Amino acid sequence: MDLRFTETQEILKKMARDFLTTECPKTLVRKLEQSTEGYSPEVWKKMAELGWMGLIIPEEYGGMGYTFQDLVVLLEEIGRNILPGPLIPTITSTFPILEAGTEEQKKELLPKIAQGELILTTALLEGEGVFDASGINVKATPKGNDFVINGTKLFVEMAHVASHILCVTRTKDGASPEKGITLFIVDSKTPGISCEVMPTTAADKLCEVRFKDVSVPKKSILGKVDEGWPVVEMMLRKGAIAKCAESIGAIETCVEMTVAYSKERVQYERSIGSFQALQHKMADMWTTMETSRFLVYEVAWMESEGLPCAKEASMAKAYVNEVYKDVSKWAVRLHGAIATSADHDIPLYYRRSKAADIAFGNTDFHREIVAQKMGLV
Amino acid sequence: MDLALTDEQKGRKQEFYDVCKELEKRRPPKFLGFETIYEDDKCWEYNLHCAQEFAKKGWLALGWPPEHGGKGDMMDRVLFAEARGYYGIPGVDIFGVQMLAPTLLQAASEEIKKEFLPPIARGEVMWCELWSEPNAGSDLASLSTTAIKKGDEYVINGQKTWNTGAHRADWGFGVFKTDPAAKKHHNMTFILLDMKTPGITIRPIPYLDGHAPYCEVYFDDVHVPAKNIVGQEHEGWAVVNLLAGFERSGINEIMTMIRGLEDLVEFCNKTKRHGQPLARNPLVRNRLAEVACQLEAARALAYRVADLQNRNEMSLMDASAGKIFFSELGERFAFLATDILGPYGQVKTSRWAPLDGVWERIFHEHFITTVSMGTNEIQRNIIAWYGLGLPRMR
Repeated sequence: MDLRFTETQEILKKMARDFLTTECPKTLVRKLEQSTEGYSPEVWKKMAELGWMGLIIPEEYGGMGYTFQDLVVLLEEIGRNILPGPLIPTITSTFPILEAGTEEQKKELLPKIAQGELILTTALLEGEGVFDASGINVKATPKGNDFVINGTKLFVEMAHVASHILCVTRTKDGASPEKGITLFIVDSKTPGISCEVMPTTAADKLCEVRFKDVSVPKKSILGKVDEGWPVVEMMLRKGAIAKCAESIGAIETCVEMTVAYSKERVQYERSIGSFQALQHKMADMWTTMETSRFLVYEVAWMESEGLPCAKEASMAKAYVNEVYKDVSKWAVRLHGAIATSADHDIPLYYRRSKAADIAFGNTDFHREIVAQKMGLV
Repeated sequence: MDLALTDEQKGRKQEFYDVCKELEKRRPPKFLGFETIYEDDKCWEYNLHCAQEFAKKGWLALGWPPEHGGKGDMMDRVLFAEARGYYGIPGVDIFGVQMLAPTLLQAASEEIKKEFLPPIARGEVMWCELWSEPNAGSDLASLSTTAIKKGDEYVINGQKTWNTGAHRADWGFGVFKTDPAAKKHHNMTFILLDMKTPGITIRPIPYLDGHAPYCEVYFDDVHVPAKNIVGQEHEGWAVVNLLAGFERSGINEIMTMIRGLEDLVEFCNKTKRHGQPLARNPLVRNRLAEVACQLEAARALAYRVADLQNRNEMSLMDASAGKIFFSELGERFAFLATDILGPYGQVKTSRWAPLDGVWERIFHEHFITTVSMGTNEIQRNIIAWYGLGLPRMR
């Protein structure tokens, strides 16, 4: 057992931190929140040069061939700087292609993803906003050599700039909601697709995507017809861990900023950090940060080793969801009025804690998975 | 990041689990967790029996240097603590094996090591701690019990308190004021003493649930050989800090809770409420899952502490965080479990009590972890001052 980062991971971490400090100042974060695109194509291109979109893509498909653990190290840095944009949707949409894609699909898409030429996202949620298969009602019906997709997807991150959308559809009403789910890789320029950005807490460009008689060729089916749900579960699991990694970086920043500010800010002729009421709160923030961090590292290690970790991944997500909201809330509180201003950086984190909570399954969704896996009948 | 155990470690872990599983079968009926060993004669005998079994295997000296009869490494200690925690097995004296032995190894003279370490490894001598006093709790350095040197002896007068198991212990270790004129932190000496020395009076203190795991110890002209000290004379504070640094990872307590959760899940599966298993109640599911997540987080941090300690790296901040987290999780879990049991959550061990009444007991017992070994508020100070570099209270 050795919980330290490997040398490769230390290098990756340092490179990411240096790059993001230079290329992603908070002025840019704010600008991108206000912009239509929600990401910077220039930064995206530079990130591609660093190999980030292809980090976990095997070398034979033009990627870097790094491990899932390494990805966690990178995402932690992304979270520190809250880089806006389609990196996480692209990477998490790559998981189903890697796992269920045909050789042809992999050869066609993966090298381009690694080069930063494509932006991917996954369209899962619909009107009910639930993460289980019962929420999937967008229909895909066979017609000749094609399938025709009809219905509306919601909360699809960065769909408005995506080149491809992984669409989770219902192709059959089966014995259980999990049966009859099929995934399609849809070119977002296909006629019949329209997209609208939803106003959200984190201004993270979640979209409504409407499919009206959208014809997609059979070769765009990802995995097996009617048996796509396990692929979605895998994506939710890996996506949950990825989101946790990003959250840890953000939590760490909230703790660091709060501690630093409390040492500078003087009231009653002393730094406010000298008051135990604040010290103990900061000790608690640090404690929950540390528990989150090592829980996520443990799960990332299991995922990397190919060990079954559905329970542990859900434990991590359910836990980190709450810690991020709590720590960023206390970061605002301990800063005082100053951090309730839109110009302050702490609210950027607080707002994202809600987005992070929901992405890839909220707390109650993951707790129910834990409840099942721990043997409750 | 690599959490894998080597094949050798896996083998030893299996042996720890197998032996503890066997010992669990010999558990006396009144044994309900670690504290009961001090309260009931049969439970104390069970504690001594387990100690003997572990001693035979050399497991009371895990991680000690070979010249003192040591075996294995720090990681073995963690794996052993895990197994004992899961099956709730006593037999490892927290004062002698877990606290004093590592202190002796680092700070005692060769003579003292040779005299006191072997009986600890053989599970023959049980220890108690003599630290707190009525007016010296968190501010331990303000203690007032004196040990005045007369010839080749110290003569001790005063009172110690909150001494877990002092009435069962053979020997005690503590800090006493040896130079009353000197300034705070440089006026006390770390002394080892035989609890049967004339002049010692031990009185049990009833704990809030009526049981008596604690004592207060009175000293009336107690003569102790002056050679029985650890560290420098008058510099006992340094030894106290060293000992406090041997924080445990908490893995033992966490595994006990993980087992408790498994038993509670089984209870919820087979107990019907409103015509269906209690386990089907969405609130019960959600709340038990919440505790399970927090337990896994606690376990992950415990491994972090163990990993740092294995490499002899500073783990003060993480050890404090771990202690705060697992002990307060213990409180939350006790509240939740007694809540889920409904009216039965208040029933003491009896034919009416589910799960042997263990949760009714834990409802009282959780304070032992939050308050002892440095209260959680002191642990928060440690994190704030030594970890986050915030200004110290004056």
